[in-house]
Amino acid sequence: MHKYLGNKRAIAVFTLPALILFTVVVFYPIVQVFYRSFFDWDGLGQATFVGFGNYEKMFFKDRVFRTALFNGFIFALMLVCIQIPLGTLLAFSLTDLAMRGKRFLRISYFVPMVLSVTVVCQLWLSIYNAEYGLLNKLFEALGIPYRQDWLTNPKTAIYAVAFVNAWHYMGYHFALVLAAVKSVPEQFFEAAKIDGAGRWRTHFRITVPLLAETYKFCLVLAITGGLNAFAQMFIMTGGGPGTATYTLTYLMYRSAFRLNEFGYGCAAAALLVLECLIVTILINRFVARERIVY
Amino acid sequence: MLARLRKWQIHWKIFLWAYAFFSFYPIIWMIFYSFKNNNEIFVTNPFGFPTKLRFENYVHAWNSFNVPVYFKNSVIVTIATVIGTVALSVMFSYAAARMNWRLKDVARIYIVTGMFIPVQVIMIPLAILVRDFGLSNSLLALIIPYVAFNLSFCTMVFYGFFRSIPFELEESACIDGASVYQAFFRIILPIIRPAVATVIIFVSLMAWNEFTMALMLITKEELKTLPLGILFFQGAFTTDWGAMGAVMTIASLPTLFVYILFSEKVEQALTVSSAVKG
Repeated sequence: MHKYLGNKRAIAVFTLPALILFTVVVFYPIVQVFYRSFFDWDGLGQATFVGFGNYEKMFFKDRVFRTALFNGFIFALMLVCIQIPLGTLLAFSLTDLAMRGKRFLRISYFVPMVLSVTVVCQLWLSIYNAEYGLLNKLFEALGIPYRQDWLTNPKTAIYAVAFVNAWHYMGYHFALVLAAVKSVPEQFFEAAKIDGAGRWRTHFRITVPLLAETYKFCLVLAITGGLNAFAQMFIMTGGGPGTATYTLTYLMYRSAFRLNEFGYGCAAAALLVLECLIVTILINRFVARERIVY
Repeated sequence: MLARLRKWQIHWKIFLWAYAFFSFYPIIWMIFYSFKNNNEIFVTNPFGFPTKLRFENYVHAWNSFNVPVYFKNSVIVTIATVIGTVALSVMFSYAAARMNWRLKDVARIYIVTGMFIPVQVIMIPLAILVRDFGLSNSLLALIIPYVAFNLSFCTMVFYGFFRSIPFELEESACIDGASVYQAFFRIILPIIRPAVATVIIFVSLMAWNEFTMALMLITKEELKTLPLGILFFQGAFTTDWGAMGAVMTIASLPTLFVYILFSEKVEQALTVSSAVKG
Protein backbone atom coordinates (compact mmCIF):
# COMPACT_ATOMS: atom_id res chain seq x y z
CA MET A 1 0.00 0.00 0.00
CA HIS A 2 2.78 2.39 0.88
CA LYS A 3 4.56 1.55 -2.31
CA TYR A 4 1.33 2.15 -4.14
CA LEU A 5 0.69 5.67 -2.83
CA GLY A 6 4.37 6.47 -2.69
CA ASN A 7 4.96 5.64 -6.35
CA LYS A 8 7.47 8.34 -7.29
CA ARG A 9 6.87 8.17 -10.99
CA ALA A 10 3.12 8.47 -10.62
CA ILE A 11 3.55 11.47 -8.33
CA ALA A 12 5.76 13.16 -10.89
CA VAL A 13 3.31 12.44 -13.69
CA PHE A 14 0.43 13.84 -11.65
CA THR A 15 2.04 16.96 -10.24
CA LEU A 16 4.70 18.20 -12.62
CA PRO A 17 2.43 19.49 -15.42
CA ALA A 18 0.49 21.71 -13.00
CA LEU A 19 3.58 22.85 -11.11
CA ILE A 20 5.52 23.72 -14.24
CA LEU A 21 2.63 25.57 -15.86
CA PHE A 22 1.89 27.54 -12.70
CA THR A 23 5.52 28.44 -12.18
CA VAL A 24 6.06 29.63 -15.73
CA VAL A 25 2.77 31.52 -16.22
CA VAL A 26 2.02 32.90 -12.75
CA PHE A 27 5.04 32.77 -10.47
CA TYR A 28 7.79 33.77 -12.86
CA PRO A 29 5.92 36.87 -14.14
CA ILE A 30 5.32 38.14 -10.64
CA VAL A 31 9.05 37.96 -9.93
CA GLN A 32 9.64 39.68 -13.25
CA VAL A 33 7.30 42.54 -12.33
CA PHE A 34 9.42 43.47 -9.34
CA TYR A 35 12.71 42.88 -11.12
CA ARG A 36 11.78 44.87 -14.23
CA SER A 37 10.42 47.76 -12.21
CA PHE A 38 14.05 48.78 -11.57
CA PHE A 39 14.85 49.05 -15.25
CA ASP A 40 14.22 51.44 -18.06
CA TRP A 41 13.04 49.05 -20.72
CA ASP A 42 11.01 49.28 -23.93
CA GLY A 43 10.14 45.57 -23.98
CA LEU A 44 12.46 44.71 -26.85
CA GLY A 45 15.97 46.16 -26.61
CA GLN A 46 18.55 46.37 -23.89
CA ALA A 47 17.26 47.29 -20.45
CA THR A 48 19.18 49.82 -18.39
CA PHE A 49 19.20 49.63 -14.61
CA VAL A 50 17.76 52.80 -13.05
CA GLY A 51 17.33 51.75 -9.41
CA PHE A 52 14.30 53.42 -7.92
CA GLY A 53 14.11 55.81 -10.87
CA ASN A 54 10.72 54.57 -12.06
CA TYR A 55 9.22 54.90 -8.60
CA GLU A 56 10.70 58.36 -8.20
CA LYS A 57 9.23 59.42 -11.51
CA MET A 58 5.86 57.98 -10.53
CA PHE A 59 5.64 59.61 -7.10
CA PHE A 60 7.09 63.00 -7.91
CA LYS A 61 6.78 63.73 -11.61
CA ASP A 62 3.75 61.89 -12.98
CA ARG A 63 0.67 64.00 -12.28
CA VAL A 64 -1.62 61.23 -13.42
CA PHE A 65 -0.28 58.92 -10.74
CA ARG A 66 -1.97 60.82 -7.95
CA THR A 67 -5.31 60.75 -9.74
CA ALA A 68 -4.85 57.05 -10.39
CA LEU A 69 -4.06 56.26 -6.79
CA PHE A 70 -6.94 58.35 -5.51
CA ASN A 71 -9.38 56.83 -8.00
CA GLY A 72 -8.43 53.36 -6.82
CA PHE A 73 -9.43 54.33 -3.30
CA ILE A 74 -12.69 55.93 -4.44
CA PHE A 75 -13.51 52.83 -6.44
CA ALA A 76 -12.78 50.52 -3.52
CA LEU A 77 -14.77 52.71 -1.15
CA MET A 78 -17.78 52.77 -3.48
CA LEU A 79 -17.75 48.99 -3.76
CA VAL A 80 -17.45 48.50 -0.01
CA CYS A 81 -20.19 51.02 0.78
CA ILE A 82 -22.66 49.72 -1.80
CA GLN A 83 -22.12 46.01 -2.19
CA ILE A 84 -21.63 44.86 1.37
CA PRO A 85 -24.49 46.74 3.11
CA LEU A 86 -26.88 46.10 0.24
CA GLY A 87 -25.96 42.42 -0.01
CA THR A 88 -26.39 42.12 3.75
CA LEU A 89 -29.81 43.80 3.83
CA LEU A 90 -31.09 41.74 0.94
CA ALA A 91 -29.78 38.46 2.33
CA PHE A 92 -31.11 39.11 5.84
CA SER A 93 -34.57 40.17 4.77
CA LEU A 94 -34.81 37.33 2.29
CA THR A 95 -34.10 34.81 5.04
CA ASP A 96 -36.48 36.49 7.51
CA LEU A 97 -39.54 37.00 5.38
CA ALA A 98 -41.95 34.27 4.43
CA MET A 99 -43.00 35.19 0.93
CA ARG A 100 -43.52 34.00 -2.60
CA GLY A 101 -40.98 34.29 -5.37
CA LYS A 102 -37.86 33.90 -3.25
CA ARG A 103 -36.16 31.86 -5.93
CA PHE A 104 -36.91 34.49 -8.53
CA LEU A 105 -35.56 37.24 -6.27
CA ARG A 106 -32.37 35.33 -5.63
CA ILE A 107 -31.86 34.77 -9.32
CA SER A 108 -32.48 38.44 -10.12
CA TYR A 109 -29.87 39.61 -7.64
CA PHE A 110 -27.29 37.19 -8.90
CA VAL A 111 -27.90 37.25 -12.64
CA PRO A 112 -25.66 40.23 -13.60
CA MET A 113 -22.74 38.14 -12.32
CA VAL A 114 -22.90 35.75 -15.27
CA LEU A 115 -22.60 38.51 -17.86
CA SER A 116 -19.28 39.52 -19.34
CA VAL A 117 -17.81 42.79 -18.16
CA THR A 118 -17.89 44.04 -21.75
CA VAL A 119 -21.60 43.41 -22.07
CA VAL A 120 -22.32 45.05 -18.73
CA CYS A 121 -20.26 48.12 -19.57
CA GLN A 122 -21.77 48.50 -23.03
CA LEU A 123 -25.19 48.13 -21.51
CA TRP A 124 -24.51 50.85 -18.96
CA LEU A 125 -23.04 53.06 -21.64
CA SER A 126 -26.43 52.97 -23.27
CA ILE A 127 -28.17 53.45 -19.94
CA TYR A 128 -26.04 56.51 -19.14
CA ASN A 129 -26.27 57.86 -22.69
CA ALA A 130 -26.98 61.59 -22.50
CA GLU A 131 -29.56 61.71 -25.24
CA TYR A 132 -31.26 58.35 -25.53
CA GLY A 133 -30.15 56.52 -22.38
CA LEU A 134 -32.53 54.69 -20.08
CA LEU A 135 -31.82 56.99 -17.15
CA ASN A 136 -32.41 60.21 -18.99
CA LYS A 137 -35.44 58.71 -20.70
CA LEU A 138 -36.74 57.81 -17.27
CA PHE A 139 -36.33 61.38 -16.04
CA GLU A 140 -38.09 62.54 -19.17
CA ALA A 141 -40.96 60.11 -18.67
CA LEU A 142 -41.35 61.28 -15.08
CA GLY A 143 -41.40 64.86 -16.28
CA ILE A 144 -38.17 65.89 -14.60
CA PRO A 145 -36.21 68.35 -16.73
CA TYR A 146 -32.90 66.86 -15.63
CA ARG A 147 -30.39 65.63 -18.15
CA GLN A 148 -26.97 64.45 -17.23
CA ASP A 149 -23.99 63.05 -18.99
CA TRP A 150 -22.34 61.44 -16.00
CA LEU A 151 -19.50 59.87 -17.92
CA THR A 152 -18.18 63.03 -19.57
CA ASN A 153 -18.25 65.06 -16.40
CA PRO A 154 -14.81 64.70 -14.76
CA LYS A 155 -16.35 65.06 -11.31
CA THR A 156 -18.93 62.31 -11.63
CA ALA A 157 -17.28 59.93 -14.12
CA ILE A 158 -15.38 57.81 -11.60
CA TYR A 159 -18.48 57.37 -9.44
CA ALA A 160 -20.61 56.45 -12.42
CA VAL A 161 -18.04 53.86 -13.50
CA ALA A 162 -17.62 52.44 -10.00
CA PHE A 163 -21.37 52.18 -9.68
CA VAL A 164 -21.53 49.90 -12.71
CA ASN A 165 -19.04 47.57 -11.08
CA ALA A 166 -21.03 47.68 -7.84
CA TRP A 167 -24.19 46.74 -9.72
CA HIS A 168 -22.45 43.97 -11.63
CA TYR A 169 -21.00 42.12 -8.63
CA MET A 170 -23.47 42.97 -5.88
CA GLY A 171 -25.05 39.53 -6.28
CA TYR A 172 -21.79 37.90 -5.33
CA HIS A 173 -21.73 39.53 -1.92
CA PHE A 174 -25.42 38.80 -1.54
CA ALA A 175 -24.86 35.11 -2.25
CA LEU A 176 -21.90 34.92 0.12
CA VAL A 177 -23.84 36.49 2.99
CA LEU A 178 -26.94 34.41 2.24
CA ALA A 179 -24.99 31.15 2.29
CA ALA A 180 -23.33 32.18 5.55
CA VAL A 181 -26.63 33.17 7.23
CA LYS A 182 -28.12 29.83 6.31
CA SER A 183 -25.25 28.00 7.97
CA VAL A 184 -25.80 29.72 11.32
CA PRO A 185 -27.56 27.22 13.62
CA GLU A 186 -31.20 28.07 14.31
CA GLN A 187 -30.81 28.07 18.12
CA PHE A 188 -28.79 31.30 18.01
CA PHE A 189 -31.82 33.12 16.61
CA GLU A 190 -34.23 31.32 18.89
CA ALA A 191 -32.21 32.27 21.94
CA ALA A 192 -32.31 35.92 20.88
CA LYS A 193 -36.04 35.73 20.24
CA ILE A 194 -36.70 34.33 23.70
CA ASP A 195 -34.66 37.14 25.19
CA GLY A 196 -36.99 39.55 23.39
CA ALA A 197 -34.60 40.99 20.83
CA GLY A 198 -36.13 42.43 17.65
CA ARG A 199 -35.22 41.27 14.18
CA TRP A 200 -32.62 43.85 13.31
CA ARG A 201 -31.23 43.91 16.80
CA THR A 202 -30.73 40.17 16.54
CA HIS A 203 -29.01 40.60 13.23
CA PHE A 204 -26.66 43.35 14.27
CA ARG A 205 -25.78 41.84 17.61
CA ILE A 206 -25.69 38.18 16.63
CA THR A 207 -25.69 37.45 12.92
CA VAL A 208 -23.17 40.07 11.80
CA PRO A 209 -20.55 39.11 14.41
CA LEU A 210 -21.08 35.44 13.58
CA LEU A 211 -20.45 36.17 9.92
CA ALA A 212 -17.17 37.96 10.59
CA GLU A 213 -15.25 35.49 8.43
CA THR A 214 -17.57 36.09 5.51
CA TYR A 215 -17.33 39.85 5.88
CA LYS A 216 -13.59 39.62 5.95
CA PHE A 217 -13.69 37.86 2.62
CA CYS A 218 -16.18 40.38 1.20
CA LEU A 219 -13.97 43.26 2.32
CA VAL A 220 -10.82 41.83 0.78
CA LEU A 221 -12.70 41.12 -2.40
CA ALA A 222 -14.33 44.56 -2.69
CA ILE A 223 -11.21 46.53 -1.81
CA THR A 224 -8.73 44.63 -3.96
CA GLY A 225 -11.31 44.57 -6.74
CA GLY A 226 -11.61 48.35 -6.54
CA LEU A 227 -7.88 48.95 -6.44
CA ASN A 228 -7.37 46.69 -9.46
CA ALA A 229 -10.24 48.12 -11.49
CA PHE A 230 -9.43 48.40 -15.14
CA ALA A 231 -11.93 46.94 -17.61
CA GLN A 232 -14.73 49.34 -16.71
CA MET A 233 -12.57 52.39 -17.35
CA PHE A 234 -11.14 50.95 -20.50
CA ILE A 235 -14.55 50.27 -21.99
CA MET A 236 -16.65 53.13 -20.65
CA THR A 237 -14.39 56.16 -20.46
CA GLY A 238 -10.98 55.24 -21.87
CA GLY A 239 -9.49 56.79 -18.73
CA GLY A 240 -11.16 60.09 -19.59
CA PRO A 241 -12.48 62.67 -19.65
CA GLY A 242 -8.83 63.73 -19.78
CA THR A 243 -7.23 61.55 -17.15
CA ALA A 244 -10.12 61.76 -14.68
CA THR A 245 -10.79 58.02 -14.46
CA TYR A 246 -7.25 56.64 -14.53
CA THR A 247 -6.46 53.88 -12.05
CA LEU A 248 -3.12 52.25 -11.33
CA THR A 249 -3.91 49.33 -13.63
CA TYR A 250 -4.87 51.76 -16.37
CA LEU A 251 -1.61 53.62 -15.84
CA MET A 252 0.21 50.30 -16.13
CA TYR A 253 -1.67 49.38 -19.29
CA ARG A 254 -1.00 52.70 -20.95
CA SER A 255 2.69 52.75 -20.06
CA ALA A 256 3.39 49.22 -21.22
CA PHE A 257 1.03 48.64 -24.12
CA ARG A 258 0.68 52.15 -25.54
CA LEU A 259 3.90 54.00 -24.72
CA ASN A 260 6.25 50.98 -24.59
CA GLU A 261 7.56 52.01 -21.18
CA PHE A 262 7.60 48.48 -19.80
CA GLY A 263 9.80 49.26 -16.82
CA TYR A 264 7.55 52.08 -15.70
CA GLY A 265 4.47 49.91 -16.18
CA CYS A 266 6.05 47.20 -14.03
CA ALA A 267 6.67 49.76 -11.29
CA ALA A 268 2.95 50.62 -11.31
CA ALA A 269 2.09 46.91 -11.19
CA ALA A 270 4.53 46.29 -8.35
CA LEU A 271 2.95 49.12 -6.38
CA LEU A 272 -0.44 47.55 -6.98
CA VAL A 273 0.73 44.20 -5.60
CA LEU A 274 2.03 45.93 -2.49
CA GLU A 275 -1.22 47.87 -2.08
CA CYS A 276 -3.31 44.71 -2.26
CA LEU A 277 -0.96 42.83 0.03
CA ILE A 278 -1.10 45.57 2.67
CA VAL A 279 -4.89 45.72 2.50
CA THR A 280 -5.21 41.95 2.85
CA ILE A 281 -2.81 41.87 5.79
CA LEU A 282 -4.53 44.79 7.53
CA ILE A 283 -7.97 43.22 7.14
CA ASN A 284 -6.74 39.89 8.41
CA ARG A 285 -5.07 41.63 11.32
CA PHE A 286 -8.00 43.74 12.45
CA VAL A 287 -11.17 41.96 11.32
CA ALA A 288 -12.29 38.64 12.75
CA ARG A 289 -9.14 37.46 14.37
CA GLU A 290 -10.71 34.37 15.84
CA ARG A 291 -12.29 31.72 13.71
CA ILE A 292 -15.79 30.77 14.82
CA VAL A 293 -16.75 27.11 14.77
CA TYR A 294 -20.32 26.16 15.46
CA MET B 1 -48.57 45.09 17.21
CA LEU B 2 -49.45 42.62 14.47
CA ALA B 3 -50.52 45.40 12.16
CA ARG B 4 -47.21 47.11 12.69
CA LEU B 5 -45.39 43.90 11.94
CA ARG B 6 -47.35 43.50 8.72
CA LYS B 7 -46.52 47.00 7.62
CA TRP B 8 -42.89 46.47 8.44
CA GLN B 9 -42.85 43.29 6.39
CA ILE B 10 -44.46 45.02 3.42
CA HIS B 11 -41.77 47.69 3.41
CA TRP B 12 -39.06 45.10 3.21
CA LYS B 13 -40.89 43.13 0.55
CA ILE B 14 -41.13 46.27 -1.54
CA PHE B 15 -37.42 46.82 -1.04
CA LEU B 16 -36.63 43.26 -2.09
CA TRP B 17 -38.71 43.49 -5.24
CA ALA B 18 -37.45 46.98 -6.07
CA TYR B 19 -33.85 45.87 -6.03
CA ALA B 20 -34.71 42.75 -8.02
CA PHE B 21 -36.22 45.02 -10.65
CA PHE B 22 -33.19 47.30 -10.63
CA SER B 23 -30.87 44.32 -10.96
CA PHE B 24 -32.81 42.44 -13.60
CA TYR B 25 -34.49 45.09 -15.72
CA PRO B 26 -31.36 46.45 -17.46
CA ILE B 27 -30.76 42.96 -18.87
CA ILE B 28 -34.38 42.65 -20.00
CA TRP B 29 -34.14 46.12 -21.48
CA MET B 30 -31.07 45.05 -23.46
CA ILE B 31 -32.89 42.00 -24.82
CA PHE B 32 -35.91 44.18 -25.64
CA TYR B 33 -33.94 46.72 -27.58
CA SER B 34 -32.09 44.05 -29.51
CA PHE B 35 -35.46 43.53 -31.26
CA LYS B 36 -36.25 47.20 -31.85
CA ASN B 37 -35.24 49.77 -34.41
CA ASN B 38 -33.81 53.14 -33.43
CA ASN B 39 -37.11 54.94 -33.70
CA GLU B 40 -38.70 52.59 -31.21
CA ILE B 41 -35.75 52.68 -28.80
CA PHE B 42 -35.34 56.44 -28.84
CA VAL B 43 -38.84 57.77 -29.24
CA THR B 44 -41.92 55.59 -29.39
CA ASN B 45 -41.23 52.76 -26.97
CA PRO B 46 -38.02 53.08 -24.95
CA PHE B 47 -39.01 50.90 -21.97
CA GLY B 48 -41.43 48.17 -22.93
CA PHE B 49 -41.70 44.97 -24.91
CA PRO B 50 -40.90 45.47 -28.62
CA THR B 51 -43.99 46.09 -30.76
CA LYS B 52 -42.56 43.90 -33.47
CA LEU B 53 -39.79 41.33 -33.06
CA ARG B 54 -37.17 42.46 -35.51
CA PHE B 55 -35.01 39.37 -35.96
CA GLU B 56 -33.27 41.16 -38.80
CA ASN B 57 -31.14 42.88 -36.12
CA TYR B 58 -29.66 39.49 -35.30
CA VAL B 59 -29.19 38.56 -38.93
CA HIS B 60 -27.54 41.91 -39.58
CA ALA B 61 -25.24 41.61 -36.56
CA TRP B 62 -24.30 38.02 -37.34
CA ASN B 63 -23.53 38.72 -40.98
CA SER B 64 -21.99 42.14 -41.11
CA PHE B 65 -19.02 41.67 -38.78
CA ASN B 66 -16.86 38.92 -37.42
CA VAL B 67 -19.39 37.65 -34.90
CA PRO B 68 -19.25 34.02 -36.11
CA VAL B 69 -15.44 34.06 -35.80
CA TYR B 70 -15.56 35.56 -32.30
CA PHE B 71 -18.20 33.07 -31.28
CA LYS B 72 -16.17 30.15 -32.59
CA ASN B 73 -13.03 31.41 -30.79
CA SER B 74 -14.94 31.81 -27.54
CA VAL B 75 -16.26 28.25 -27.82
CA ILE B 76 -12.81 26.81 -28.55
CA VAL B 77 -11.12 28.77 -25.77
CA THR B 78 -13.80 27.84 -23.25
CA ILE B 79 -13.77 24.12 -24.03
CA ALA B 80 -9.99 23.85 -24.15
CA THR B 81 -9.61 25.80 -20.91
CA VAL B 82 -12.12 23.60 -19.13
CA ILE B 83 -10.47 20.38 -20.29
CA GLY B 84 -6.96 21.58 -19.53
CA THR B 85 -7.82 22.94 -16.11
CA VAL B 86 -9.80 19.92 -14.98
CA ALA B 87 -7.15 17.47 -16.16
CA LEU B 88 -4.21 19.25 -14.57
CA SER B 89 -5.88 20.15 -11.30
CA VAL B 90 -7.50 16.74 -10.74
CA MET B 91 -4.16 15.02 -11.20
CA PHE B 92 -2.30 17.49 -9.04
CA SER B 93 -4.78 17.54 -6.20
CA TYR B 94 -5.04 13.75 -6.22
CA ALA B 95 -1.32 13.48 -5.64
CA ALA B 96 -1.38 16.28 -3.07
CA ALA B 97 -4.32 14.88 -1.13
CA ARG B 98 -3.81 11.14 -1.21
CA MET B 99 -0.32 10.14 -2.16
CA ASN B 100 2.73 10.15 0.10
CA TRP B 101 5.55 12.52 -0.69
CA ARG B 102 7.48 14.99 1.35
CA LEU B 103 6.70 18.40 -0.12
CA LYS B 104 3.03 17.85 -0.83
CA ASP B 105 1.74 20.56 1.52
CA VAL B 106 4.27 23.09 0.30
CA ALA B 107 3.37 22.33 -3.31
CA ARG B 108 -0.35 22.67 -2.64
CA ILE B 109 -0.02 25.96 -0.77
CA TYR B 110 2.25 27.25 -3.53
CA ILE B 111 -0.44 26.61 -6.14
CA VAL B 112 -3.33 27.90 -4.03
CA THR B 113 -1.52 31.21 -3.38
CA GLY B 114 -2.28 31.97 -7.02
CA MET B 115 -5.79 32.93 -5.93
CA PHE B 116 -4.39 36.03 -4.23
CA ILE B 117 -2.59 37.32 -7.30
CA PRO B 118 -4.65 39.78 -9.32
CA VAL B 119 -4.42 38.99 -13.03
CA GLN B 120 -3.87 42.60 -14.06
CA VAL B 121 -0.66 42.83 -12.10
CA ILE B 122 1.32 40.28 -14.09
CA MET B 123 0.00 41.21 -17.52
CA ILE B 124 3.20 42.89 -18.74
CA PRO B 125 5.59 39.95 -18.18
CA LEU B 126 2.88 37.55 -19.32
CA ALA B 127 2.40 39.41 -22.59
CA ILE B 128 6.17 39.31 -23.20
CA LEU B 129 6.23 35.61 -22.31
CA VAL B 130 3.46 34.85 -24.78
CA ARG B 131 5.29 36.82 -27.44
CA ASP B 132 8.65 35.13 -26.76
CA PHE B 133 7.14 31.65 -26.83
CA GLY B 134 5.64 32.52 -30.21
CA LEU B 135 2.08 31.86 -29.08
CA SER B 136 0.71 35.15 -30.38
CA ASN B 137 -0.56 33.49 -33.53
CA SER B 138 -2.83 30.96 -31.90
CA LEU B 139 -5.57 30.72 -29.32
CA LEU B 140 -3.04 29.03 -27.04
CA ALA B 141 -2.04 32.58 -26.11
CA LEU B 142 -5.29 32.66 -24.12
CA ILE B 143 -5.84 29.02 -23.26
CA ILE B 144 -2.52 28.47 -21.47
CA PRO B 145 -2.81 31.52 -19.17
CA TYR B 146 -6.48 30.74 -18.47
CA VAL B 147 -5.60 27.20 -17.43
CA ALA B 148 -2.72 28.39 -15.26
CA PHE B 149 -4.86 31.00 -13.53
CA ASN B 150 -7.70 28.61 -12.80
CA LEU B 151 -5.43 25.94 -11.35
CA SER B 152 -5.44 27.52 -7.90
CA PHE B 153 -9.20 27.58 -7.50
CA CYS B 154 -9.75 24.12 -8.94
CA THR B 155 -6.95 22.54 -6.94
CA MET B 156 -8.56 23.91 -3.81
CA VAL B 157 -11.97 22.46 -4.68
CA PHE B 158 -10.65 19.04 -5.67
CA TYR B 159 -8.28 18.85 -2.73
CA GLY B 160 -11.15 19.36 -0.30
CA PHE B 161 -13.14 16.71 -2.09
CA PHE B 162 -10.33 14.15 -2.21
CA ARG B 163 -9.71 14.52 1.51
CA SER B 164 -13.31 13.54 2.19
CA ILE B 165 -13.21 10.15 0.41
CA PRO B 166 -12.19 7.07 2.47
CA PHE B 167 -8.72 5.70 1.82
CA GLU B 168 -10.04 2.12 1.76
CA LEU B 169 -10.91 2.72 -1.90
CA GLU B 170 -7.30 2.59 -2.98
CA GLU B 171 -6.51 -0.14 -0.51
CA SER B 172 -9.03 -2.47 -2.08
CA ALA B 173 -7.91 -1.47 -5.54
CA CYS B 174 -4.34 -2.22 -4.52
CA ILE B 175 -5.30 -5.64 -3.16
CA ASP B 176 -7.14 -6.38 -6.38
CA GLY B 177 -3.93 -5.68 -8.21
CA ALA B 178 -4.80 -2.44 -9.99
CA SER B 179 -2.04 0.02 -10.78
CA VAL B 180 -2.18 3.54 -9.39
CA TYR B 181 -3.29 4.84 -12.78
CA GLN B 182 -6.06 2.26 -13.06
CA ALA B 183 -7.28 3.11 -9.57
CA PHE B 184 -7.24 6.79 -10.45
CA PHE B 185 -9.19 6.51 -13.68
CA ARG B 186 -11.58 3.68 -12.77
CA ILE B 187 -12.36 4.37 -9.14
CA ILE B 188 -11.48 7.92 -8.15
CA LEU B 189 -12.59 9.87 -11.21
CA PRO B 190 -16.18 8.58 -11.21
CA ILE B 191 -16.56 9.50 -7.53
CA ILE B 192 -15.54 13.14 -7.86
CA ARG B 193 -18.14 13.99 -10.48
CA PRO B 194 -19.96 16.61 -8.34
CA ALA B 195 -16.73 18.52 -7.79
CA VAL B 196 -15.97 18.31 -11.49
CA ALA B 197 -19.37 19.85 -12.26
CA THR B 198 -18.66 22.77 -9.93
CA VAL B 199 -15.29 23.36 -11.51
CA ILE B 200 -16.62 23.10 -15.07
CA ILE B 201 -19.25 25.75 -14.37
CA PHE B 202 -16.79 28.09 -12.70
CA VAL B 203 -14.09 27.76 -15.32
CA SER B 204 -16.37 27.96 -18.33
CA LEU B 205 -18.07 31.13 -17.07
CA MET B 206 -14.68 32.68 -16.43
CA ALA B 207 -13.26 31.67 -19.82
CA TRP B 208 -16.36 32.78 -21.73
CA ASN B 209 -16.50 36.20 -20.07
CA GLU B 210 -12.85 37.04 -19.53
CA PHE B 211 -11.81 40.40 -20.90
CA THR B 212 -8.62 41.87 -19.44
CA MET B 213 -6.22 39.09 -20.40
CA ALA B 214 -7.81 38.75 -23.82
CA LEU B 215 -7.34 42.46 -24.41
CA MET B 216 -3.64 42.43 -23.60
CA LEU B 217 -2.69 39.06 -25.10
CA ILE B 218 -4.66 39.01 -28.35
CA THR B 219 -4.00 41.48 -31.12
CA LYS B 220 -5.09 39.56 -34.22
CA GLU B 221 -8.63 40.15 -35.42
CA GLU B 222 -9.18 36.48 -36.26
CA LEU B 223 -8.24 35.36 -32.74
CA LYS B 224 -10.52 37.66 -30.78
CA THR B 225 -13.09 36.22 -28.41
CA LEU B 226 -16.59 37.62 -27.98
CA PRO B 227 -15.97 39.96 -25.02
CA LEU B 228 -13.12 41.53 -26.95
CA GLY B 229 -14.93 41.52 -30.28
CA ILE B 230 -17.98 43.28 -28.90
CA LEU B 231 -15.87 46.30 -28.05
CA PHE B 232 -15.29 47.07 -31.67
CA PHE B 233 -18.94 47.36 -32.44
CA GLN B 234 -19.03 50.30 -30.12
CA GLY B 235 -17.65 52.45 -32.89
CA ALA B 236 -19.22 50.63 -35.81
CA PHE B 237 -22.74 50.39 -34.46
CA THR B 238 -23.16 53.71 -32.66
CA THR B 239 -26.01 54.49 -34.97
CA ASP B 240 -27.63 51.08 -34.86
CA TRP B 241 -28.52 50.23 -31.28
CA GLY B 242 -30.66 47.27 -32.27
CA ALA B 243 -27.79 45.39 -33.90
CA MET B 244 -25.49 46.29 -30.99
CA GLY B 245 -28.06 44.90 -28.57
CA ALA B 246 -28.28 41.76 -30.69
CA VAL B 247 -24.52 41.16 -30.50
CA MET B 248 -24.57 41.68 -26.74
CA THR B 249 -27.48 39.30 -26.35
CA ILE B 250 -25.74 36.66 -28.48
CA ALA B 251 -22.69 36.92 -26.22
CA SER B 252 -24.78 36.64 -23.05
CA LEU B 253 -27.32 33.96 -23.91
CA PRO B 254 -25.05 30.94 -23.33
CA THR B 255 -24.14 32.01 -19.80
CA LEU B 256 -27.68 33.15 -19.03
CA PHE B 257 -29.04 29.76 -20.08
CA VAL B 258 -26.49 27.91 -18.00
CA TYR B 259 -27.39 30.06 -15.02
CA ILE B 260 -31.15 29.72 -15.38
CA LEU B 261 -30.85 25.94 -15.79
CA PHE B 262 -28.39 25.29 -12.97
CA SER B 263 -28.85 28.39 -10.84
CA GLU B 264 -28.02 26.85 -7.50
CA LYS B 265 -25.04 24.97 -8.83
CA VAL B 266 -23.72 28.18 -10.40
CA GLU B 267 -24.12 30.22 -7.23
CA GLN B 268 -22.39 27.51 -5.29
CA ALA B 269 -19.59 27.24 -7.83
CA LEU B 270 -18.92 30.97 -7.84
CA THR B 271 -19.04 31.42 -4.08
CA VAL B 272 -17.17 28.30 -3.01
CA SER B 273 -13.86 30.14 -3.14
CA SER B 274 -14.83 32.12 -0.03
CA ALA B 275 -13.90 29.08 2.06
CA VAL B 276 -10.19 29.78 1.80
CA LYS B 277 -9.58 33.21 0.37
CA GLY B 278 -9.52 36.24 2.62
